[in-house]
Amino acid sequence: MPVRVTLAVLLLFTTFGLSAEPLHVRLDAILDTAAKTNGVAQSGPADDGEFLRRAWFDFAGRIPTATEARAFLADKSPDKRNKLIDTLLAKPEYATHMAARFHLMFLERLGDHPDWTKSLQESFAANAPWDRMVRDMLKADTPGASFFLAKRLENYGQQPVDYSALTRDVGRLFLGKNFQCCECHDHLTVDEYKQQHFQGLHAYFRNTFLVDAATARVGEKPTTTKTDFASVFTMVEMATAPALPGGKMVEIPQFPKGQEFAQPPDRKTKNPGVPKFSTLATVADQLPTAANRDFSRNIANRLWFLLIGRGLVHPLDLHHAGNPPSHPAALDLLADELVTAKFDLKFLLREIALTRAYQRSSLLSKGVTKAPEAKHFATAIEKRLSAEQLFAAVSTATGAKPADAVRAKFLKAYANPPREPEEDVQPSLKAALLLRNDEALLALLLPAPGSLVGRLAGVPAENVAEELFLSVLTRLPSAEDAATVAKVLAKHGDKKADAIGKLAWALLASAEFGVNH
Amino acid sequence: MRPHPLCTPADHRLTRRRFLGTSAALGVGAFALPAVADELRKRRRQVLMIWLDGGMSQLESWDPKPNTAFGGPFRAIPTSVPGTHISELLPDTAKQMHRLAICRSVSTQDNSHSAGVDRIQRGDPKNRGVTYPYIGSAVAKLVGPGDSGLPPYVWIKPGNGGFIDKHAGFLGPKFGALALGDGKPPENLLRPATLSAADDDERNELRKLADKRYSAGRATGATDATSHAFDLAEQLQKKVHLFDPTKLPPKDVERYGTHDLGRHLLLARRLLEEGVTFVKVTSYGWDTHGDHFNGAASLHPKFDRPFAAILDDLVQRSMLDDVLVIVACEFGRTPRINGHLGRDHWPEAWSVAMAGRGIKPGVVVGKTNDQGTDVATDPYDIGHLFHTWFTALGLTPRKARYLNDDQPLPIAHDDMTPIPGLLA
Repeated sequence: MPVRVTLAVLLLFTTFGLSAEPLHVRLDAILDTAAKTNGVAQSGPADDGEFLRRAWFDFAGRIPTATEARAFLADKSPDKRNKLIDTLLAKPEYATHMAARFHLMFLERLGDHPDWTKSLQESFAANAPWDRMVRDMLKADTPGASFFLAKRLENYGQQPVDYSALTRDVGRLFLGKNFQCCECHDHLTVDEYKQQHFQGLHAYFRNTFLVDAATARVGEKPTTTKTDFASVFTMVEMATAPALPGGKMVEIPQFPKGQEFAQPPDRKTKNPGVPKFSTLATVADQLPTAANRDFSRNIANRLWFLLIGRGLVHPLDLHHAGNPPSHPAALDLLADELVTAKFDLKFLLREIALTRAYQRSSLLSKGVTKAPEAKHFATAIEKRLSAEQLFAAVSTATGAKPADAVRAKFLKAYANPPREPEEDVQPSLKAALLLRNDEALLALLLPAPGSLVGRLAGVPAENVAEELFLSVLTRLPSAEDAATVAKVLAKHGDKKADAIGKLAWALLASAEFGVNH
Repeated sequence: MRPHPLCTPADHRLTRRRFLGTSAALGVGAFALPAVADELRKRRRQVLMIWLDGGMSQLESWDPKPNTAFGGPFRAIPTSVPGTHISELLPDTAKQMHRLAICRSVSTQDNSHSAGVDRIQRGDPKNRGVTYPYIGSAVAKLVGPGDSGLPPYVWIKPGNGGFIDKHAGFLGPKFGALALGDGKPPENLLRPATLSAADDDERNELRKLADKRYSAGRATGATDATSHAFDLAEQLQKKVHLFDPTKLPPKDVERYGTHDLGRHLLLARRLLEEGVTFVKVTSYGWDTHGDHFNGAASLHPKFDRPFAAILDDLVQRSMLDDVLVIVACEFGRTPRINGHLGRDHWPEAWSVAMAGRGIKPGVVVGKTNDQGTDVATDPYDIGHLFHTWFTALGLTPRKARYLNDDQPLPIAHDDMTPIPGLLA
């Protein structure tokens, strides 16, 4: 198709031509050109309220308070959005929130461990480079980071350790490739996913084991031979040493029997020892590298997903030729720049946040009635809020200090079950019933000192709407909204707190509150 | 070739992310018009599935082999269909035989509970790299919620309840099971005493207004999905009387029995009367590896009496023409009696019973050999049963397709067909 070729060439030139421009400008150029080519109408920029709410959720994990919101809305300086992004990136909440997001993405609610949380938070606070973080997770010899493997090496009920799932997760989460179907044969629908890929990856982990769940300690038996496998279809016998998908097999060094360990195991102290040839050290050395294209593309795509709501490659764990990126040049650019920046996550997040794509409105472009497909990034995608983000927003909005038990109940109702990535908005009956009828949750809307309803009951009726909408939805009420508030207040007369409680509940239960739009 | 068990894992990941755009399709609001409701009421298609978890012995139920090496101590008794005998442990069911159809040559594959429950309830379609829905979710999707205002797939079980998303597979969580633990209503179903109905309505109207304003000018997927969850909550709250045991006629309580399965089948009847599309009732504890015969003597009557009672009630209410009734488990039990006087797992040759909508009454299809150790006629796998059940429900399993995004997926195993002789 000549037209497309010309455009691709043009695009290439454009990209090169602008290489002096900041990353976010170049990203927008790629997206804009594609939108024009595809005849997709892009939405205008989000207004200040929408942008503010989005940025707070994405970088601090909660909504701003009414005071914080008012300050931003009142700020007249032209660069206030950039300033806000930088302010949020520098707050301690950035580290706790990013730790929570990465915990969710990489542990998928399998479990939690205080050392793991701590190590994630410290990593984000220090803006540790991603390659180092992954090296620590795969090597699994430091407390905290080892939990990624340790949790997956635990027995699940009466089931034996699920090494297949562990291998699959390493492929999915660090390389963006789900080799699950390749355990027993080459993938049936994805030509480039081979059984060798699964088995080669599996060979790094097959001799690992959990030493102690309480300390998340991982041990390793020496690997001395290749793994034998055969396709269930062809039955041809094969063998592989540890190998990255598409990479060379590791040479397995041979040591005389009894001399396999650099540090021999000691049963008395429960020390698992360290083999001279450690497959974990090997994978930690080989996988998270600048040379490993899968590794950089995966994390670039996941960061884009976190802020934009959909991967350039989507699903996030199906990178292959049959499922190309929606904007190949954008993914290349993100991955390249991340490598150049030595896997500086904050740098990439900041650049994505500065794009017009990130700052677009979730309102459709004027005259458009049908939303363009998400892959065009033409309109802001309504992102799923994690249960934790939503609860933090409820706490901030209501000004309440909910008990841990309320939090636990809330998270249980709003979270997905383990191993179900939380990528789409999925309101549930369980959550709706909790919000409707749970007395402990409804108590957050009682008029107490310092609570939202208590505070608003004390302000003049004409100010209630503004304070309510700023507190809950991080925006000013429309004229219609204000009229509704006035009507409800008038109807309930001296039962002002009741009326405000109802209005506040309606906003907390609304779709607008429930998503990151 | 049989798909490798590890290739159809429960957590395969092309499952969710779909269907949000179409949330409104299930919205109960669509049935608010009385004319529409009447039309639907006329054409209800419902399923009652009784799941005897652990595996009921076919030899002590549908396919007795008295006076043979593996037959065990129980006799076979005549039924209301001349020439057909079942175990003496099911005397009331024997009187219902003219309404039942039994397939005695069921031959499935999975010998373990975890694989068996999944494979049987998902119908073992060919592996397409996606997790197929359990039959309850499948019927919820294919038949729809009907006019009940209740979720289309309700699962009554001992123990805990909740919302069991994973049954829905790639159909997405909306088609999961609403599980009523011990027949009790879901958590937070009841409006707190401090909140009046009028207050509840008022705040709910305000919520709807907020959603209407937010969705104007936006893609409506998220708003529709949110509304759907709240609408369902509201509908369910209106049905709270269903969960009040004091409203039950004492005579029914006596007929069904006060044990779990009895109480749960009585609740199932009430849910079916309300129009719930798919009701599954699970009974646990049928995995009698030891002391099997005493176990069966105690367990089988707990199935027998309420099963006969619910069949009578469905007939009395003219509902059996609409309700497909299925009695199944993950497998049967071994003819060989083990050293602990137990029977073990036996998927090779066992029986499944059914009745009601689309099913030929009073028939037995297929047989096992004299000792019950293998099927003696054509073996039927769960895929054949899915074809039979879907056809009985008026679906066309050879043609009907799910759409998983753009990927068309057959609703039952491509290479199988309905079991001859079971369909009316």
